[in-house]
Amino acid sequence: MKTTARRVGIALTAASLVLTGCGRDDDEPGGTESVPGVTSEPCPEAVDQEKGCIYLGTITDLTGVFKGVGVPLTEGQKAFWAKVNADGGIGDYEVDVTKFTKDNQYNPDTHATVFAEIKDEILALGQSLGTAHTNTILEQVQDDSILTLPASLGSNWIFEDGVIEVGTNYCAEAMNSVDAAVDGGAKSVAAVHFPGDYGDDAMVGARIAAEANDLKFTDIPTAPGQEAQGAAVTALLKAKPDVVIVSTGPIEMAAIVGGAAAQGFTGKFIGSIPSWNAAVLESPAGPAIAGLYRQATSFGTWDSDTPGHEAMREAAAAAKQVPNDWYMIGWAGGYIMKAALEAAIEDDNLTREGLVEAAAALTGVDGEGMLPEGSGNYAGDPNERVVRATSLNKVDDKTSSKVSVDTEAFTGPTAEGYDFQEPCYLQK
Amino acid sequence: MSSVIPRRLLGGRVIGRPSLYTSYKQDMSFFDTLPKLFGVLAIVLVAAYLPMTLEDNLLKLLGTGFVLAVGAIGLNLVTGYAGQVSLGHAFFVGVGAYTAAVLAGDPDGRYLGLGITFAPLWILAAGVAAAVCGAVVAPLATRLRGLYLAIVTLGLVFIGEYFFGEWTELSGGANVGRDAAEPVLFGNDLTRDGAYTSEQKLYWFFLAVLVIFAVIARNLARSRVGRAFAAVRDRDIAAGVMGVNLAKYKLTAFTISSFYAGVAGSLLFAANGHFSPEQFNLLMSVQFIAMVLIGGAATISGSIMGAMLIALLPRITGELPGLVGFISSSAIEHPNIFEVEQILYGVLIIAFLIFEPRGLFGIWLRVRTYWKSFPFSY
Repeated sequence: MKTTARRVGIALTAASLVLTGCGRDDDEPGGTESVPGVTSEPCPEAVDQEKGCIYLGTITDLTGVFKGVGVPLTEGQKAFWAKVNADGGIGDYEVDVTKFTKDNQYNPDTHATVFAEIKDEILALGQSLGTAHTNTILEQVQDDSILTLPASLGSNWIFEDGVIEVGTNYCAEAMNSVDAAVDGGAKSVAAVHFPGDYGDDAMVGARIAAEANDLKFTDIPTAPGQEAQGAAVTALLKAKPDVVIVSTGPIEMAAIVGGAAAQGFTGKFIGSIPSWNAAVLESPAGPAIAGLYRQATSFGTWDSDTPGHEAMREAAAAAKQVPNDWYMIGWAGGYIMKAALEAAIEDDNLTREGLVEAAAALTGVDGEGMLPEGSGNYAGDPNERVVRATSLNKVDDKTSSKVSVDTEAFTGPTAEGYDFQEPCYLQK
Repeated sequence: MSSVIPRRLLGGRVIGRPSLYTSYKQDMSFFDTLPKLFGVLAIVLVAAYLPMTLEDNLLKLLGTGFVLAVGAIGLNLVTGYAGQVSLGHAFFVGVGAYTAAVLAGDPDGRYLGLGITFAPLWILAAGVAAAVCGAVVAPLATRLRGLYLAIVTLGLVFIGEYFFGEWTELSGGANVGRDAAEPVLFGNDLTRDGAYTSEQKLYWFFLAVLVIFAVIARNLARSRVGRAFAAVRDRDIAAGVMGVNLAKYKLTAFTISSFYAGVAGSLLFAANGHFSPEQFNLLMSVQFIAMVLIGGAATISGSIMGAMLIALLPRITGELPGLVGFISSSAIEHPNIFEVEQILYGVLIIAFLIFEPRGLFGIWLRVRTYWKSFPFSY
């Protein structure tokens, strides 16, 4: 019995090795035609069997610490393309974003490994989650002309070719948040943030705006984890800023806002997109958050009255998806990739190089109201390319996503005039 | 028959009776039996030929496996041979990775860099820097053993994570990272496609490095030092009584092991070209321990097999669920392939330790015994 089990085990392992280890194939794989990721065969789940298929890769976090971001983002993206396909696809093609979906477990090495697995099979990367992660494959995607849409709002992407970033970066967003606070009479500001591309990016933006407005600025770095926020709360109580820019996860944000409020702190909090999740309202910190917190974003709210949001809500309702910012951003990013694909088809050059060229020539993308003003200008230099608009949301029980617009999209004077020379997070 | 093969090579061996040793020298030799000699040669030749037949993405995995194998051999020297449990291997790998990145880094770049591009130089320097750290830690090992040593070396990982994360001129900072050292050999940048693809070139380079370091480790293990390691492992008090200098050999074990870790670290990220400080975490240490246990403690070939399996495991577990129909490929349905992939990883490790405690090396031993006594094996 034991030996049988062992033999079966060994046979399975051997079989799997044989199955995974296909032979070396030096001619262009990924379909019958010469362009990787473009086939005249229909997509696996094609609506119209007459159309060809464009395969986009997705490398995201489905099981790691950011699966709360990666999973809804991927679903939103999937829903967007399902609608595009149902509406007749793009040119003679439909688009598949599911066949080459890989989990990076939020590990840069895994990211690079799974990228190597799919890179010969895809036309472009519809989603690449994580800054360090995308940087790990950046040289390769640029060398191989694989157009990449990073699921990362760092301020570094505006300096890269072959990358189509979406939305306002954390740095410009924090500048706008501080400018808005100054309009509200704030005299001092603090930034509580994670280390790295996300938190440092927002912190540097807040610091730049604080200097421009002559505010007292306090930098309070903090680590992930609810229990790790005690020191940040203490530092806040000591600095007593009028406004706090929070760039952490929702759990940490709740611990900080709740902890500070419990000790009599009355300053306002403005958080970056990832600091928000409606579930925090159920936590003991809920009332404090409802009173003190606002979310900075460039993608509107779930209930926004635009054709894009409308279509997204319909698709989400059909899929029983609860309102989620990342689902919304996944959907919104689709408009950019769609515009690039359409431009490449219009140029009659649906190849990797053609797609990169078409994307680099875009001067604007119509996101049916879902993309912030100034989106999709990849033809310009970094300062023309960067998106600078931000809106502020306040907690609102009456809406489905528990937030409603408090300050309509605006660009503050600091962000408006700022000259982006290098990624903000590198200037910490 | 014996006249066909030069006598020098045979060294008193009797053809057809590979296990019959006729001299002490033969018992102690690098390849104690002829089949072993030819077997190893055949494996190396096959391995060297693989890049001509396999796909690049598989070569990349195998290449990473070779580098991991160098690190695993290092851990096996200190843990398998000398019996000193170390959970701090990731720290030494990190020291190696950063030493190499700094030496080979762009002097005008944002991060520390000295612009020394000659690969062998920064590989050895990475080993030396890690070895120095190992030597500093080693005295602890003479005071502690077993679980206590494990916990102390565990502390190293956390100290390392802090330093690597905070020293941004060195590492680029958490979640940002910096570029890894690019292996350039005599003007040939191995990370660029040329007549051969970068995956092929790196594979051959890593294979060569592995062969060199495996031979050195095997030599060490069968020498006076190796026997001293084994004596310390089996009972350090008894070893001390026999005249083995415990402090000296524990120091040696840690230093050499760290050297191997440093070398592995310098090359581990060459294929990807970019790495960030949170990668040198406890998980990495645990993976090296898993390689040693799955491969087989106190065997060099086992370390290599273990490292190859761990390197290929994500690929194997990634493909398996696709063969089973009822597992969803959508991340919002449960169970989905991504979850199963993670679980399988754990299940395989547990299954190995239960069914094959001697590791992959144990399987090989059994296969060997089976064929040796064929057709009368039972």
